[in-house]
Amino acid sequence: MKLSFYPGCSLEGMAVDYARSIDAVFQALDIDLVEIDDWSCCGATAAHSLSEAMSVILPARNLFAAEQMGLDIVSPCANCFNRLRFSQQMIQKGVLDVPWPVTGDLKVHDMTRFLADPAMIKQIKKRVLKSLKGLKLVCYYGCQMVRPPRITGYADYENPQTLDRIAAATGAQVIDWSYKATCCGASIGIARREIGASLTKRLLDKARQAGAEAIVVSCPLCQSNLDMIQKDHLERQIPIFYFTELLRLSFSDRGNPKWFKTHFTNPVRLLKTKSLL
Amino acid sequence: MNTLVADQKSISQPKPAKKRKLIGDRGDYFLNRIQGETGANVSACYQCERCTNACPVSHFMDIKPHQAMRYVQLGWREDLLKSSTIWVCLSCEMCTTYCPNEVGVAEVINHLRNIAAHSSITPKERNLAVFHQTFLEVLRKSGRINEFRLMNAYYLKPNILHEKIKSGSFKEELLLGLTLLRKGRLKPFTSRSKAIKDIQKAYIQARGEIV
Repeated sequence: MKLSFYPGCSLEGMAVDYARSIDAVFQALDIDLVEIDDWSCCGATAAHSLSEAMSVILPARNLFAAEQMGLDIVSPCANCFNRLRFSQQMIQKGVLDVPWPVTGDLKVHDMTRFLADPAMIKQIKKRVLKSLKGLKLVCYYGCQMVRPPRITGYADYENPQTLDRIAAATGAQVIDWSYKATCCGASIGIARREIGASLTKRLLDKARQAGAEAIVVSCPLCQSNLDMIQKDHLERQIPIFYFTELLRLSFSDRGNPKWFKTHFTNPVRLLKTKSLL
Repeated sequence: MNTLVADQKSISQPKPAKKRKLIGDRGDYFLNRIQGETGANVSACYQCERCTNACPVSHFMDIKPHQAMRYVQLGWREDLLKSSTIWVCLSCEMCTTYCPNEVGVAEVINHLRNIAAHSSITPKERNLAVFHQTFLEVLRKSGRINEFRLMNAYYLKPNILHEKIKSGSFKEELLLGLTLLRKGRLKPFTSRSKAIKDIQKAYIQARGEIV
């Protein structure tokens, strides 16, 4: 299978560990990810905040490049996925003219839903060498991946299940909690620290109360928000995993502590006590 | 006992008569404009406050989301553009998703932010506005966002560094940045996208100039 891959800017910088684990997982699953030629930024929150027109035009360039390749797009970043879908819908509706002839026929997948498809879950289960039994996880989706449902196409936006299904396929124990899709504050923490901190701290508290030992995420910004706020906390630290990191861990019979060295909250101790590393 | 104190206070300091605000003198021009440009059905809002209850940051807003909808209905444009609401909003789309009347609350607030960005009104949350602005500037220069370049450009904006040093958070952020560099998560040099030319052209076109 071949897909075009839109990594997004974070995967080159803050989320290098995500990028590495995606490479490993898709290699194991025999899926070819072809990076879109000369992809550019989707504009994220800033573009639609200051200029709605640019928030349609910027992703359109990537849609056009993918259409030239003729491959469906898969995006690991929640916001990139949201913006690509939004742009596609706006172009299809004819709300705005874009400088490139985009037809909008391609499917834009977000990576979690692509891998949570029943057929893919079967493939994943086949490749699990080491079950992550005993690891108690909560899955955190964030906002941009599930909302608004008319753009993302999630029918279960109140209680999304894609990450839960993937995490369960690795053998981990997935705990249900109520803060799956509550916002983590995104980039607001850079300009207004106290707002960002109040949101992330609440999420971490609720995860602890639910009895989680680690949080599974799929969004680079959620990961860095939840991870970096814990750097100077005396309370019990909760490691934040990308879901592909867990898949990579379960696909290999012996994990490597080096995979997690970019994390602030070091998960190595937790994984060693569970004898998973 | 408490109630007695409260009573005495209210007796000793009579409340000044509230100056009544009128419906915007432009009639429903503003309402129609917003509805036309966003496609959101603001008139359908019946103030159930579900958006405000769902909003994770309504605590930090001066005009709550449901009030903002009423303000649009009344045409109180300047109050909205001067508010912190439009800048604090995270676009997490909780309000839009849970609105029983399918009023696109987040879309309306986002559109108000657009209007405010292009108006001469100074944003109440200047730092947030400056951050968005910096993001787009970096994007325009290199086609992709590099967190290292973005943060440097943001700190160099007027007043930002000064405020950070004054509030004492600068040292902490500097240490955080150094740790990120050491861990390899911040990269001073990354590839630029060859898309810069396309993007700059699109920007010029979006300004209404002919390329």
